[in-house]
Amino acid sequence: MTKRRNSGCNALEHHVTRRHFMGTGAMAGAMAGFGSLLTPAMAGEMKSKQKQILQVYLQGGVSQFESWDCKPGTKYGGPFRPISTSVPGMQICELLPYTAQKMHLLSVVRSINLETDDHTVGRLFMEKGRKNGDYPFVGAVASKYLTAADNPLPGYVHITTRGIVDQTAGFLGSKHEMMRLEGVKPPTNLERPKDLKPELAVRAESLRQQLNKQFGGKRSRALIDSYDTSFEQAQQLMARADLFEKQDEKELDRYGKHWFGRRCLLARTLLEQGVTCVKVTHHGYDTHAENFNFHVEQLDEFDKTFATLLGDIEERGMLDNVLVVIYSEFGRTPKVNHKYGRDHWGKSFSIALGGCGIQPGGVVGATNADGTEVSDREVDGAHLFHTYMQAVGIDSQSNHSLDGRAVPIGDPVAAPIKELLA
Amino acid sequence: MQITCRIILLIVAILSSAVASAQTQSLRHIIDDSLRSTQGELSVNSAPLVDDYGFVRRVYLDLTGRIPSTAQLIEFVNDQHADKRELLVDKLLASPEYARTMQYAFDVMFMERLPKKHISPEAFQKYLKDAFATNKPYDALVKEMLSADGANPEQRPASRFLLDREIKREETVRAIGRVFLGRDLQCAQCHDHPNVDDYLQQHYFGVAAFLQRSYLFTDPKSKVVSIGDKVEGDVKFTSVFTGEESQTQPRILDLSEIKDPDAEEEPYEVKPDSKNRGVPKYTRRLQLAPAMISSENSAFRQNIVNRIWAMYMGQGFVEPLDMFHEENAPTHPELLTSIADDFMAHKYDVKYLVKELVLTKTYQLESEVVQVGDAGRVLYLNASIKPLSPEQFAWSLMQAVGVVDQTRRTALEAAKQENADFDESSLSGQTLLEEKIHTALKPKVNLIVKVFAASNAASRFDASANHALYLLNGPEVAEWLSMGKELLLDSLLKTDNDKEMIEQSYLACYSRLPSAEELKLASEFISQHGASREEVLRELVRTLLCSAEFRFNK
Repeated sequence: MTKRRNSGCNALEHHVTRRHFMGTGAMAGAMAGFGSLLTPAMAGEMKSKQKQILQVYLQGGVSQFESWDCKPGTKYGGPFRPISTSVPGMQICELLPYTAQKMHLLSVVRSINLETDDHTVGRLFMEKGRKNGDYPFVGAVASKYLTAADNPLPGYVHITTRGIVDQTAGFLGSKHEMMRLEGVKPPTNLERPKDLKPELAVRAESLRQQLNKQFGGKRSRALIDSYDTSFEQAQQLMARADLFEKQDEKELDRYGKHWFGRRCLLARTLLEQGVTCVKVTHHGYDTHAENFNFHVEQLDEFDKTFATLLGDIEERGMLDNVLVVIYSEFGRTPKVNHKYGRDHWGKSFSIALGGCGIQPGGVVGATNADGTEVSDREVDGAHLFHTYMQAVGIDSQSNHSLDGRAVPIGDPVAAPIKELLA
Repeated sequence: MQITCRIILLIVAILSSAVASAQTQSLRHIIDDSLRSTQGELSVNSAPLVDDYGFVRRVYLDLTGRIPSTAQLIEFVNDQHADKRELLVDKLLASPEYARTMQYAFDVMFMERLPKKHISPEAFQKYLKDAFATNKPYDALVKEMLSADGANPEQRPASRFLLDREIKREETVRAIGRVFLGRDLQCAQCHDHPNVDDYLQQHYFGVAAFLQRSYLFTDPKSKVVSIGDKVEGDVKFTSVFTGEESQTQPRILDLSEIKDPDAEEEPYEVKPDSKNRGVPKYTRRLQLAPAMISSENSAFRQNIVNRIWAMYMGQGFVEPLDMFHEENAPTHPELLTSIADDFMAHKYDVKYLVKELVLTKTYQLESEVVQVGDAGRVLYLNASIKPLSPEQFAWSLMQAVGVVDQTRRTALEAAKQENADFDESSLSGQTLLEEKIHTALKPKVNLIVKVFAASNAASRFDASANHALYLLNGPEVAEWLSMGKELLLDSLLKTDNDKEMIEQSYLACYSRLPSAEELKLASEFISQHGASREEVLRELVRTLLCSAEFRFNK
C-alpha cells in the first residue's frame, strides 16, 4: 500500500506516441542558428521576461471541418476546400486564408476528445484542465504565478460581451479572478464620481493608507495587506483609464472596424502593457443551423483580424513570450443536420496554438478519414492545460500550496504534450 | 426570581474562575481554562478584554449581521449592569436579526451560492430562518434536509440541498463530505486521495451508496421534480492503483456498512414508472440522515462545532474547514472533542453553543496581536480579525450611512398604519419590522453580495480591484453619501463643530470614538481649502468605509 502516495497518478502518465512535425526542419535550424548568436546574458534576459498568454476563444464551438481539420471529398467534409499554408505540407480550410500565411507560427492539435457535448462542461474542461471541481482557469493560474508583484494591472482580463459568469479563480482568490471587460468599454465603476475633485481624491487615498497603517499596525497583516492591494489595483486602473480610450483609426483599419477587430486591438494594447493573460471571445459559433454560411461570415471576421494581431505580436518581438491559443469548448458534429447545421461534438476536434516556445508548424494527432473519431494521439483538456502551463514555465506537475494542502496544478492523470514543447 | 438566578450565576461565575477546575463548569469556562492550560506560562501575556465599544460592535456583527447603530452603541456603553454583556447577548440571540444572520451563514454553508434549479432559494432561506428563530436542534435540521424528497410540499424547501444538486453523485457526495463531515472526498472518487492518507475511495463510495438508488422524478402532470428511489443499484469502484474492484454498502467513513434488510416479495410501496415516483418499502437514501447524525458518528458533531467555532473565533480548530484528516490534526483536539460532546449532550442547541462561545474570555479579547518573545504565534492570546461576510458588509454599509435606520422609520410608520396596536417591543412586532426592512433592502444586499462574494464559496475573504472600485465609485455608495435624503451626511452637517462631526462619523462607521491622534488627522483632512465642507465630509466618511477597520470584525 505504500505505493499509493508517492507513485501517485504519475504512474498513469501517457506515453508519448508518434508525432507529425511537418516543415519544422528549416525553422528549427534557423532558430538554432539564432540561438547560438545570443550571449548568455541576453539569453538570461529573455528568460526572465514575463511570460504572457493570449486566448482567443471561439465561443459556441468552431467547426473543426471548416477550420483546422478539413476532410475534403468525404462523407461529412462539407463544401470547402483545404488550402496550403506557410508550412509546406500543412493545409487548413480555405475560410482562413490570412491565418494560413501565419501557420509557421502555430501548431495544430487535431485529436482532442473531451467526451462531452455540453457547452459548460466542455468550456470548464478546456479552461481548468479538469472535468469537474473548483479548479482555477488557465488565466487565473497564469495571473497567480506569472504576474510580477509590482505589476499594477490585473493579471487576467477577458474581453467579451455575453454574460457567462464563471468563477475563474477558485481557491486562488479574487485577486486572480478574471476581470471582465464589456467589449472595449472600461471596467465597471472605473470613473470617479463627477463631483469629486481630483486633489481631494488624492488626499482621501492618502488618508485611507494612514488609517490602514494604524489599524494594521498591531494586527495580523495578511488579510489587511490583501485588502490594501485591491485598492492599489483600483487606483492603478483608474490612472490607466487611457487604455480604454478611443482607439487609433489607422490601427482599426488594419484590424477591422467590427467589434472583434476593436477587441483584438485592445487585447494587443493590454498585452503590451503587461497584462498576464488576455482572453478575447469571438461569439457565435454554435451553428446548429446554416453551419456553412455562418462559418463563412464568422471566420471571415476572425481570419484577417486574428492574423493581424498575431503578426503584430510577432513583429514586436513578443511571440517568444506570449503563448497564443485559439480554442473552443468543443467542435461540431460530422453529420450535417436537416437545417444544414452541425451540432455539438466533443469527441474529435482541434485547436491551434503557438508562441512562447511551442514548436511551430506542427500537427499533433489525427482523426480518422471521416473525422468521426480520433485515430492518433488522443488528448483532452487536461493534456492541453499541462501543455499551456509548461510553455509559460509553470511546472504543471507540481502543486499549488494552499494553507495545509497541496493541490496538483495540472490533473495528475494527464501529462503535457511533449512534442509541442521546445 | 430572575434576579436571584442572576446572582447565583454571578457567584458561580466568580467561583469557577477562581477555582481553576471546578467540577460542573459551564462550557465557556471549560473553553477558557483549556486554552489557558495549553498556553502554559505564556497565558499571562494574554491580551486584555476588549472594551465596551469593541464588544458591542463585535457581538452585533456576529449575532445580528451588522454593526450597531450609534444609539444602540451608546445605550450599551451607558448600561450600568455588571452582567450587561450577557444581557446583551441574550437580547440579540432572541432578536429576529439573529435568525436572519444565521440564515445567511448557513445558506452559504449548505448551498455555496448555487443558482436555483428546482427549489426557490428564497423558500430554502425562509426555512432556515424559521429553523434558527425557533432554535431547531441542528441534528434535526440536518435530518430534515437529508431526508426530504421534495414530494411533500411542506418539506419541499428542505429538499434543496439534494434536489438542487440534482443528486448528481460528484456534486452531492462532495458536498455531504465537506459540509457535514468536514472532509473533501473529491479526489477519492477516482482513487485514494493522492495527498491525504485517510481519504479512501471507500469513504467516497460509502456515501455515494446511500444515493445510488435515487433518481430525479418529474411528475408528468405538474412537472414538479422530486426524488424517487429504487431497490436496485450497487456501488462498485475500481482502484486506479491496484486495479482491484471493490463494492460497498452505504456507510459513513469507517463506521460499519448498513446492510439492506432481507428482500421482501413486493419491495415497493409504489413501483417506479413514468407516472409514479418510486417509493420502496426500504429506502437506502433514508438511512443517510440517521447514520449522519448518529452519536456513533463523531465526525458530524466535530465538523459543525469546528465550523461554528470558526464563525465566532475567526479560525477553526481544523483549517481549512473541510480538511479533517490525520496529517491535519485539530490545533486543540481534546477541546474540540469536549465542545462537540457537550453540544450533543445539549441536544444540538445552537443558541446555547453560540452563547457559550461569545461569552468566553477568549472571544472577548482584543484583536491586537500579542508578541511573546520568540515563541512565534500563540493561538488565542488575542482575538482574530474576521472579514465581514458579503451580507454583513452590505448591512453594515447601509447601517453606517443611515439607510437601515431610515428604512426602519418608514417600516414602523407603515406597520402602525396597518395596525393601530402595533407593538414594536414585542417579538412578533420586531419580527414583522425586520421582515419589512429586509424586504425593502434585499435588492441592495443582493447587489453588494454579487460584487463581494468570494470567487470560491468556501473561502472567507477575497479582495479584488472590483470591490475597491465599487466602494470608491459605485452608484449606491455615492447615493447614500448624498445630502437631502435624511441619511448620515445630513445629520453630520447639523453641527459645524469639527470635533463633534468627526466623533459622529467614527461612531457611525467604526462604532467607537477617535483617539486624539485620529481626531487630529481627520481635522486636518476636513479643514482643507479648495473643497466645500460637504465635499470633505463626504470623502472622510467614504474613506472610513473603504478602510480595513470597516471591512473586518476586529
